[in-house]
Amino acid sequence: MDFMLLIQLILAAVAGAVVYTLIGVAPGTDETAVLAPVTLAIVLAGVNPMVVLCFFMSAIVAKKLTDSIPVAVAGIPGGVMAAPMVEHAVQLKALGLADSSIRKMASGSVIGTLVAVPLSLLLARALIPLGPVISKHAGIIFFFGAIFLALMAKEKIISLISILPFGILIIALRHFYWGIGVVPRERTPFISFFLAITIGPMIYNLLEVAVSSKRREMERAEGKLIELAPDQPVTGRVPNPFKILNSQERVSSILGSILGTATFFMSPVGMTIFIGEIFSSRIKDTAKKAAVAISTMDAITNATYIAGVLIPLIALGVPLSPMALGPANPLFNAPPVLTLENNLHHILSFANISFATIVGALIALAITYPITIKYSRPICLFVFRRIPHESLLAMFFTLVMILAFMDAGLVGMIGVILLAMVAGMINRWGVNYGVQFMILYAAPWMINTFFAR
Amino acid sequence: MEKKFIEVWEDTVSLQDLLIAMFISLLLGLGGYLIAPARPPLPLIFSLIGTVIAFIVNSVLFKQKRKFQIQEME
Repeated sequence: MDFMLLIQLILAAVAGAVVYTLIGVAPGTDETAVLAPVTLAIVLAGVNPMVVLCFFMSAIVAKKLTDSIPVAVAGIPGGVMAAPMVEHAVQLKALGLADSSIRKMASGSVIGTLVAVPLSLLLARALIPLGPVISKHAGIIFFFGAIFLALMAKEKIISLISILPFGILIIALRHFYWGIGVVPRERTPFISFFLAITIGPMIYNLLEVAVSSKRREMERAEGKLIELAPDQPVTGRVPNPFKILNSQERVSSILGSILGTATFFMSPVGMTIFIGEIFSSRIKDTAKKAAVAISTMDAITNATYIAGVLIPLIALGVPLSPMALGPANPLFNAPPVLTLENNLHHILSFANISFATIVGALIALAITYPITIKYSRPICLFVFRRIPHESLLAMFFTLVMILAFMDAGLVGMIGVILLAMVAGMINRWGVNYGVQFMILYAAPWMINTFFAR
Repeated sequence: MEKKFIEVWEDTVSLQDLLIAMFISLLLGLGGYLIAPARPPLPLIFSLIGTVIAFIVNSVLFKQKRKFQIQEME
């Protein structure tokens, strides 16, 4: 192992952990919207693939640890994945158990990470023989993947209806860019399309401000009310994450993590709600039930996330899980640096991927876990009091515009807005990210097979 | 009562502040891209630095619009 590389890995992991500890706390920060553009920028900036992976793993572990803080302290999810836990965490907060719920969620997170990393590596090794078969037929697999995810979604019919029109819009825009000569024929524009889907719901929401009838519905006389749990400072040493949970919570967290890892190809939010409710539904006592639910759910979100990145990355080389299609997408496809034929799967060996993952995950746990336990309230207050929502919105909007400009010039910036309008609208109707990203990948095959002459 | 805030993406903002913040961010972000030497990946790196500076400037310039209330113990 090159010493300089090791230093870079450690620095990347520390940076990922620190930045995403703060972003994790900020309300409404969707994982795909905050992780994908940054990872994409880092890949395109030419950073070593192992360092990118290490940064990414550290970022998701840190973000998953801290996005439960605002849930416990203020009942506001720090991300989409924390949303299923709100109901249970609010019950614990009402009982004055906010700090205990932070510890239980953090502990669930640690267990989820520690179960999912080795288990995903094992499962991925077992699935390696499938890789060549799957990548050879990737087009048709993405197409059936889109149908499968549409059928698994809450809004099945509109998800199915969207597949062809949304696919056509993507291909039409691509041919338009080629046609007017802003993108050379030999390069397939991808980044701006991916970002448009990622940021679609946010852009759509921002554009609604320009619609007078919508704006009236969005107007507020006062700022968003944040109800904080009473201050209960943590004193003494940081507790051992394995001793915070009682045996029932520990067992259901471990089992939940195993199930979450095995179902890596399913929607993480869906599996979190489904498995979490199975484990907690039989318990009668409200506080006990809520504690099992939050610790187990936090373990499952970590496990589905980690498995959803590692298994497709190691075994398949194509993004065939909602996680790999969403936040981790730039590890699979970030042209011109990474493509479906030449990405982290092809560049890095199993040992390299394992090493970068383990360094990233362990450093994030070592930094973020004690901080979460000891300083959750001050961090939460700092983010709520010092970071205006305006600067977060402006930053992500700018990031997307810059990357769109790189992909297809000035017209690419308009193209992103066009695609984001449609993506945001169908997202609002219930066509989730998973379905939309599958369509993005399936579109060339679909159009060639069904319509091209 | 006058309604001076709007709720976007799960939080309240002032429309005027948001527009200024987006202007500053785009100016520094895209500005970084344009002034950088035309040798990839330098334009991207310059614009990322510009965006981060804009984030800090905006966070200092604008006040958050949240309202806090400490919950009573039940």
